[in-house]
Amino acid sequence: MVAQLLGLKIRLLGNAFRRSPWQVVGILVGLAYGLGIAGGLVAVLVSARFVEDVTLIRDVCTVAGAVVLLGFFLVPLLVGIDDTMDPRNFALLGMPTRTIAGGLLVSSFVGVPALVLGLALLASVVTWSRGVLVTLFALVAAALLFVTCMLATRVSTSLAAFLLSTRRSREFSGATGVLVLLIGAPVAFLLLNVEWSRYGLDLLGGLSAILGWTPLGAAWAVPGDAVAGAWGSALLRLLLAGVTVGLLWLAWVALVARMLVTPGREAAAKHYAGLSWFGRLPHTPAGAIAARSITSWGRDSRYWVSLIMIPVVPILVYLPLTIAGVPEHYLTLLPVPLMCLFLGWTIHNDVAYDSTAIWLHVASGTRGVADRVGRLIPTLVVGIPLIGLGSALSVFFYGDWGPLPAMLGVSTCIFLTGLGFSSYTSARFPYPATKPGDSPFAQPQASDTGSAIVQSLTFTGAIVLSSPAILGLLLGIFVDPYWFMQSLYYGVGMGLLALVIGVWRGARAFERRGPEILASALRA
Amino acid sequence: MKKFGPNTAVAGIDLQVRAGSFYGIVGPNGAGKTTTLSMITGLLRPNAGSIHVHGIDVWAKPVQAKRLIGVLPDRLRLFDRLTGAQLLYYSGTLRGLDNRAVRERSADLAAAFGLEDALNRLVADYSAGMTKKIALACAMIHSPRVLVLDEPFESVDPVSAVNVTEILQKYVASGGTVLLSSHGMDLIQRVCDHVAIIVQGTVLASGTIADVRGTSTLEERFIELAGGRTVAEGMEWLHSFSD
Repeated sequence: MVAQLLGLKIRLLGNAFRRSPWQVVGILVGLAYGLGIAGGLVAVLVSARFVEDVTLIRDVCTVAGAVVLLGFFLVPLLVGIDDTMDPRNFALLGMPTRTIAGGLLVSSFVGVPALVLGLALLASVVTWSRGVLVTLFALVAAALLFVTCMLATRVSTSLAAFLLSTRRSREFSGATGVLVLLIGAPVAFLLLNVEWSRYGLDLLGGLSAILGWTPLGAAWAVPGDAVAGAWGSALLRLLLAGVTVGLLWLAWVALVARMLVTPGREAAAKHYAGLSWFGRLPHTPAGAIAARSITSWGRDSRYWVSLIMIPVVPILVYLPLTIAGVPEHYLTLLPVPLMCLFLGWTIHNDVAYDSTAIWLHVASGTRGVADRVGRLIPTLVVGIPLIGLGSALSVFFYGDWGPLPAMLGVSTCIFLTGLGFSSYTSARFPYPATKPGDSPFAQPQASDTGSAIVQSLTFTGAIVLSSPAILGLLLGIFVDPYWFMQSLYYGVGMGLLALVIGVWRGARAFERRGPEILASALRA
Repeated sequence: MKKFGPNTAVAGIDLQVRAGSFYGIVGPNGAGKTTTLSMITGLLRPNAGSIHVHGIDVWAKPVQAKRLIGVLPDRLRLFDRLTGAQLLYYSGTLRGLDNRAVRERSADLAAAFGLEDALNRLVADYSAGMTKKIALACAMIHSPRVLVLDEPFESVDPVSAVNVTEILQKYVASGGTVLLSSHGMDLIQRVCDHVAIIVQGTVLASGTIADVRGTSTLEERFIELAGGRTVAEGMEWLHSFSD
């Protein structure tokens, strides 16, 4: 039975190559990435064989290894991987729990993460091949680690699938995952800038001493101990690692047993009284579409991710630039236009977010203008205060009120031209988006080269049309304040023009191509 | 006619649906029922041919034609992040109803379909049958002249199905036209006055129920036209149980 489950996993992997060419390309890219990482790790680990400072290697291995193991456990929880080998899929086959648990564990050994991990662990055995007994210890530790990591992902993947089975919790976890990743980026960046040369080694030693006696790091520290001749501590750590595997196995079997008799659970539905936004906005098609858009922004995790991105992006740009030595004085003018750029760009594929629900607009013969304008409203609700307050705050921190008109001009221009492009492209060139209810991490099944072109064109288009306004701001700062007002005039004028043209062309495309928009949603 | 690449899904369907009739379309899986209904409602552009609803060409004057048609598509999503009440309001407003009319009709429809308790819940949390009912309600809210319903009774419970049937029969009695597709032969035989049998994209029989079924039942006539029953042979092992 174990062999059959393994065969099933291999067949599933093989079938992935039978889908559309682009998916095959995606798989090959993933495989290439995996092999690249594995190659790098193997090279580093093999060359570490010739480093004499055994303590250093042990500490690095322990800390890095603990992080890897933690990653194998946490990533499925955060990302919510779609599990083809979910134990519940086998519930109706009437197999003994242990057989299923074992079979699923063994089948998880097939796959890119397992391949990379296996290669790296084999290379780590090479690192420690400094004597027969030591190599033996390293081999046992590596085997234990491989099983530990695979058990950890199995347990956490199933735990995620099990606990996050309701729509709401799944979406919530997806959005949290994005938030954690985005916050993690600046933190990692700051960590990189700590003066490692001074404190690094002490910190590493201290961390490894602690982690080496936890289930996360014990097995990683075993060969280092063996080389140093501390056989007792090596054996003890091995024992700890063995117990970890045993406990994880028991947890896995218990989880499988529980899942086999528990169908998907359904959370109690929440009640929303009244019509909410629909009652407050004008009772016209455009008003209703605006109300529907705002409601979606509030209830759909795919929009949350876009909204979270907007304030985070300036931080991601800001930090490296300050560290690179760009004067902070000028950088204060950067965040607001940058946020406007992303906000305008957010809705460039808005129609595809509706998926096939767009049939309602097609079947009811909704006017294109109503559809376009309605979808703009949520971004305008966020964007107008952002431009007003944000520009004022920016020049306040800048310390001179002179550039305020130019700030307003640049931000307005980037925002409105972005909306203009988005209004056109979302109707004319919808491309497959994450489906409603899927995790925001889930990639759409179908994708084509068109999507990349649309993304980059709407993005750069707004910047190109706004460049005279940006130039005005720069000239105002460095040459003559006269240019500040010119930037405002140009920015507002160009922005409004681009928006009107975008809405007009977009509305026409929407009315003419309704069935084609629906067809592309059906293909996605 | 509709082609998907080299495959012709629907070829030469020539149907006359009289105003005020209750018209059923039946056919085996993949016969082209959904394709046909999608082309009638303006959701799928045909490669050739024309569709007229009350004298208006659907593909030449889509806006006017769509005003006359109420649609219940099969397997398309709804805006399920809205509550039932919001979805009804949304459908009504997109169809050009004013605020008061939408609210009154929403209340009536909710009562008629037994959805009052569900109105304040997200459509995403509805069961399959409830989703079908709210979609049906949305299709009717603008009092169209023609209702085009794709599988309206799929996964709807028997009590609701009877209610819905009654609503549709009254609608037809007052001059409305219903065009629906279904797998339920009994139901079509009982409810519809006209029927068309579609197999592999062509109409094999159409007319009043009595004409089409002749002396047998509609189900027998349908199975005969759709290629007859395949006699299951070599399944004896199923009759000797494994334990």
